[in-house]
Amino acid sequence: MTETMRCPRCGAEMNHQANKLVEPVTREEAEARGTLGGILLAVFACPHCGYVASRRDEHHDT
Amino acid sequence: MSEHAANVVVSQLAHRADVETRLIDVAALPIRTDDAGESAKDPEFAETMNRADALVLVAPEYNRGYPGLLKHVLDTNLHEYIHKAVGVVGVSSGIFGGARVIENLLPVLRELGFVTIFWDVNFNNVRTRFDAEGALVDDSFLSVDKFLDELIWMAQTLRYGRENVVVGGTP
Repeated sequence: MTETMRCPRCGAEMNHQANKLVEPVTREEAEARGTLGGILLAVFACPHCGYVASRRDEHHDT
Repeated sequence: MSEHAANVVVSQLAHRADVETRLIDVAALPIRTDDAGESAKDPEFAETMNRADALVLVAPEYNRGYPGLLKHVLDTNLHEYIHKAVGVVGVSSGIFGGARVIENLLPVLRELGFVTIFWDVNFNNVRTRFDAEGALVDDSFLSVDKFLDELIWMAQTLRYGRENVVVGGTP
């Protein structure tokens, strides 16, 4: 599943370029982690300015 | 000695068109050591990593491993590294030129999201490669040009991919 994000630097629509499995850092994330055993970090890159940003994905089973 | 090796790489990069290089000494970064991971993130270093398309790690080998400080600094970021190119320059006073520090770094770099290239640079016998002022006096078996050719190709390709290719297919 692809997601969208606006670049926090220039406002352009970013490209969803990666999903990275990461370890939970809060109790809530630890309790929510699904069958992959971690939390998905959705990583975006801005085609306009090159900025990279991420969002910890609630859809950890996808 | 690793600083001398890093200066060699930086001087070679200066001859490459459209490449901006910044030399970072991990020992000089204001990164706290009473915590680890992204909790210890330094905003300026993170911004530099965000802007970078590629990283060259110049790593001395001690007891077959990488310096703990290098790992500590690398651990302070994550999304800033993903789908970016990395190459490793090993430095050692022995004959293997940091081959073991490079091998030990590869799984760490993979987990951090970097894409490793298949060229390395090995500064072996480093005690006799430089003069007292740090000038390179023995360039035998160094493959810096080939290493940088591959690194820059990978950096350009990955930048295109990050900005244009959607994970999982079309958006």
